[in-house]
Amino acid sequence: MKEKEYFSSRWALIIATIGIAVGTGNIWRFSRVVAQNGGGSFLIPWVIFLFIWSVPLIIAEFALGKSTRFGPVGALVKTAGNKFGWMGAFVVFVSTAIMFYYSVVTGWSLRYFISAVSGNLFNATDQLAYWNEFSSGYQPLLFHFISMLLVGIIIYKGVTKGIEKVTKFLVPSLIIILIILFFRAITLDNAIEGIKYFFTPELDKILDYKVWLNALTQNAWDTGAGWGLILTYAVYMKKKEDISLNAVLIGFGNNTISLIAGITIFSTVFALSLPAGQAGSADAMKLITQPGPANTGLTFIYLPQLFANISSSYLVNIFFASIFFLALFFAAVTSLMSMVELATRTFMDFGFKRKSAIIGVTVLGFVFGIPSALSLDFFTNQDWVWGVGLILSGAFISFSIIRYGVDKFRTEIINGYGSDIKIGKWYNFVIGVLIPVQVVILISWWLVSSLSWDPEWWNPFHTANLGTAVIQWAIVLSVFILLNKTMIAKLRKEE
Amino acid sequence: MSLISIITMVLILGVVWGGFTFFLFKAMSFEKLKNKNKNKN
Repeated sequence: MKEKEYFSSRWALIIATIGIAVGTGNIWRFSRVVAQNGGGSFLIPWVIFLFIWSVPLIIAEFALGKSTRFGPVGALVKTAGNKFGWMGAFVVFVSTAIMFYYSVVTGWSLRYFISAVSGNLFNATDQLAYWNEFSSGYQPLLFHFISMLLVGIIIYKGVTKGIEKVTKFLVPSLIIILIILFFRAITLDNAIEGIKYFFTPELDKILDYKVWLNALTQNAWDTGAGWGLILTYAVYMKKKEDISLNAVLIGFGNNTISLIAGITIFSTVFALSLPAGQAGSADAMKLITQPGPANTGLTFIYLPQLFANISSSYLVNIFFASIFFLALFFAAVTSLMSMVELATRTFMDFGFKRKSAIIGVTVLGFVFGIPSALSLDFFTNQDWVWGVGLILSGAFISFSIIRYGVDKFRTEIINGYGSDIKIGKWYNFVIGVLIPVQVVILISWWLVSSLSWDPEWWNPFHTANLGTAVIQWAIVLSVFILLNKTMIAKLRKEE
Repeated sequence: MSLISIITMVLILGVVWGGFTFFLFKAMSFEKLKNKNKNKN
């Protein structure tokens, strides 16, 4: 299927794709997971998995999108064969199910930005009560609606006039804001205590397999590798564009931003939760590691408390809190845009016109996001089920390349026309052996760990356990396996 | 900061930030070369 719209340049593509990779996970999840897993001890495996999970899968997604010019369903059919269209459909479904509740998170960020600008955030004496009042009311629904509508309008404008134009403004703005916050944070008294913890490795933690598995999980969730989103943007890259160097830049760019955000948050939390000149870390650690309701504790409850004391000037405090939540909102919007585009691209592959597909996706996104907007338990359930489901998505993408022939894929597609750098044979081993091994270990670990969270681990109606994940995956997979022939017929007809 | 913290910091920031800067300059040089060739033709 020939595309009419393309990203205007390499830089436009890179900026848009960095927008996919950099999301709220870089800002709130990364710092919490680093703190829970021993600071520097976590960072070492986190960097290793950048090379053996994120970058190889980003390369794979670029190559699949550019070579097939289809979204995940068509791309997996073209590489793995007609029998495996259901795998592509699962990849699409997982990212779309995440879109339903990610729009809610985008709405929270927008609401907190408005609260910070207006000063209401600092007027609240108890931030936990403020969060509880907000999250239990109807405001999350309103802001979820605004987020879906805003992103729907951007995507409606098209790839160059919508995605490219908006990301060219939002991504550099996000980076500038993070750099401003970074320099403010590291110049606070006691900030060095946070930086020290952030980079100090502990030998027993480095030898702990759980730290390694958490580092792999963070890579799987935070770079956008294996979600099908980068594959979708790659459909709109010009034939002459490079794959490998762009993929490496995105992986490194994403982790660069995570480190800026991590150092900023550790410096802020350690500096402002300790009395001046006092070197101790218990209170600061408690703040960073406590997940809070729906894992939002650090961002929506503790950081506002700290921002209120970032300087002696009320207006300066408002400024820093506002730009922090603005950065969070920008990060969320650019990622949400790619999720809407993924679902839209899939409908287009099945013959829908772009504009009607976008309207449909925006309406469905709002409707199916309502339960997560109104119930944090439902939100947590979806985050658990589809968060782990993403690892399966990565497995399916890797499987499609193995079916196609990893060496053929590497030499003909990745190293084909337009490539600036050539990828060596190491790639065959990573995609053919290391990724499948990582998938099996990671999924098994998460599912086995979940047995200890809930005595009724089999009960599918509980928030986060083995039963609810397996049942929801099984239902979705069964539907797509049954619909496989119909999907293929429709795809072939449109082709 | 202890020596081990400093080494880890240099290592992590060196690989991630250094790697990003290195590949960014590499991409810029490829683009420059492509534009040069385009103008020649």
